[in-house]
Amino acid sequence: MAVERFLQPRASSWMANDGENVDIAMSTRIRLARNLENFKFPYSFTEDEALKVDKEISSVLLDKGGDLDYTFSHISIEELAKLQKEVLVEKHLISPYLANSQHSGSVLLSDNEELSIMVNEEDHLRIQSLQSGFHLQKAYKIANELDSLLEKNLSYAFHEKYGYLTSCPTNVGTGMRASVMLHLPALTMSHQIQRIIPAISRLGMVVRGIYGEGSEALGNVYQISNQLTLGKSEYEILQDLENMTEQIIQQERKAREAILLNSPLVLEDRVYRSLGTLTHSRLLTTEEAATCLSDVRLGIDLKMIQDVDMSILNELMIFMQPAFLQQYADKPLQPKERDFARAKLFRERLNKEGINSEGEDLA
Amino acid sequence: MICDQCGERSASVIVKQQQQGQITELHLCHICAAENHSINIAFEQDPLAIHQLLSNWFPNSQASVNPVRKEAVTCPSCGFSFPKFLQLGKFGCASCYDAFSSQLDEIFKRFHNGNTEHTGKIPASYGTTLKIKKEIEELRKQMQVSVSEEDFEEAARLRDEVKVLSSKLEGGASNGS
Repeated sequence: MAVERFLQPRASSWMANDGENVDIAMSTRIRLARNLENFKFPYSFTEDEALKVDKEISSVLLDKGGDLDYTFSHISIEELAKLQKEVLVEKHLISPYLANSQHSGSVLLSDNEELSIMVNEEDHLRIQSLQSGFHLQKAYKIANELDSLLEKNLSYAFHEKYGYLTSCPTNVGTGMRASVMLHLPALTMSHQIQRIIPAISRLGMVVRGIYGEGSEALGNVYQISNQLTLGKSEYEILQDLENMTEQIIQQERKAREAILLNSPLVLEDRVYRSLGTLTHSRLLTTEEAATCLSDVRLGIDLKMIQDVDMSILNELMIFMQPAFLQQYADKPLQPKERDFARAKLFRERLNKEGINSEGEDLA
Repeated sequence: MICDQCGERSASVIVKQQQQGQITELHLCHICAAENHSINIAFEQDPLAIHQLLSNWFPNSQASVNPVRKEAVTCPSCGFSFPKFLQLGKFGCASCYDAFSSQLDEIFKRFHNGNTEHTGKIPASYGTTLKIKKEIEELRKQMQVSVSEEDFEEAARLRDEVKVLSSKLEGGASNGS
């Protein structure tokens, strides 16, 4: 089955650890929302129309993807088991909305998992382009090229005044949502993030914790994205977001320097305690793992820890999630069993990569 | 009541979730609830609860539509009424944009920092005619400025430019002349 390769606990290229400012900006995502002209939108279309839309878009992508040197794997959502869908969601390759959709829908994935095209999500077409690090322009270029290829073969719902028409009034115009995932432990520790978030929202952008609910950002990972899609060109939106992200990165660097200057020993203690937890625990909840991962990341960034590979941490953030753990274990797991499986995963992955795990034999 | 997820412990938390207009209710124990709440990735969450905002902005349109004074506008293509659009926070089809257009500027302004018009990418197939139309619009605006500044020479020049572009548009429509 086409989906198998995408379910493996194997790193996608956007989880790699290269690119500018990658210590703080973990990954970049561009999403373009498009609809076809002659079909009702997913909130009102019939199953018959859904099938036709799915067929039309999928066949164009499979036919023409080669023009841009992509090979797409076509995956029908309704053919997937619940757990398989959850794994794709945890890997950010499909949205929860598509996973729960009652209509026929598909996802087309490029081999390197940098492009994911969802069919019959909230809009007929959602082009998603993922890059590791801070690469808004590159991610947009890839999404835009694919969009231009598709528009030659499909007629989009486009309005002279409103631009690309979308189901949701918050996406109309460019249909573009650009976002950067940021690791901001120092701004969080120093509570500065609470001042930054409201300030940014006044500028047509939004910052929020990417995992978890409410104001708590699990693992100190935040996402900054544009809120506004109408009245600015794609180029202007990307420029604004790029400038704002650079400023936040600078602020985070300053905050890190301040903590390092004022309480280096406290920080070092925290970093190593967390590393100890990740490499020696027998039961590890999502929350604890995310917190410790954040500390260890920071420790690597500040050169306190030398012998842990950052890209393994990026992978672990994805693979420690419930569906992945169950896929890996090849059976359903109760929450306690997941905590055990999670702890085991961390011990195996981190110790394998050469951390000297003293005390392991005392267990 | 027993936890819906583990089926072992007794449920102590009710999790209500509203998605696509449907409310699902889960009874969970404290352990499963803790496990659950953090795994929901804010993947493509709407930044705000849109339908909520909309109904706050247009309290009357949703509560009651006066049938005598004003029929609720309904989209001829998909059958979505304006109140339904407000309630769901989503359009049913492309024609909704025209059907509800008299109300949309107000809504878009609030979502998009005062903007109501697209200025970004245009599909290649729409490109030429639309670009000319936008250019004409821009020239007309400049012309008005020139007139108000009593620079009639410039205004005349702009008017001629508009004429040239307009004839291009008509020529294009009748498949070249």
